[in-house]
Amino acid sequence: MNAFEKAIAAASSGMQSQASRLRFVSENIANADTPGYRRKVISFEQVMDGPRATGQVAVGPVTLDRSALPRIFDPSHPLADAQGYYQGSNVDLVVEIADAREAQRSYEANLKMFEQTRQMSRALLELLRK
Amino acid sequence: MDIKSSLAAQNYAATRPATTPKAGPEGAGGTIANFAGEFADTLKQGEQTAIDAMVGDADPNALVQALAQTELAVETAVTVRNKVVDAYQEILRMPV
Repeated sequence: MNAFEKAIAAASSGMQSQASRLRFVSENIANADTPGYRRKVISFEQVMDGPRATGQVAVGPVTLDRSALPRIFDPSHPLADAQGYYQGSNVDLVVEIADAREAQRSYEANLKMFEQTRQMSRALLELLRK
Repeated sequence: MDIKSSLAAQNYAATRPATTPKAGPEGAGGTIANFAGEFADTLKQGEQTAIDAMVGDADPNALVQALAQTELAVETAVTVRNKVVDAYQEILRMPV
């Protein structure tokens, strides 16, 4: 694998990771009104080839946000307790939107690197053509 | 007289190996074989990823990555081949 191919592979792994981050963000947003739902949080980690880091990124295991679920007053809700409260989800839409925007920007950056690498390799090969 | 001719023969024998091609993996043949092997591997991987993506196993990112790498490899191979053919035709055009 030469440097160009490694760069393409790294950019591609970044795009894949951001895409799956976006997936969890949209799952959180979709479940914003689900009672008892805890928002999913993902972490990123390096891809290892034996003891050496390959420079690529992957999505780590999914964890659940442990912050307290809000108590919502709605006596007509089927899950409401004796006092009329039920536990909602701890999804904060503002946080999710910010996360989605960050994923989008990071994806764009990786895409730019992908394009840049291709452009450079093509320009290099152009030297051999007359 | 005799010594002179034998010296000349020795010199001639000493210069001859310089024109023989190098043997072993360091020669041009080994490098080209390595390159061809890597090229075939990249092509095979690209095709496999494309098939997987069509069937629905691989995600589009992997497809684009594999196709970009295949494109890079094919472009390199084609450019080098064109250069080699050019050089060969240049040799053929040499007045004998």
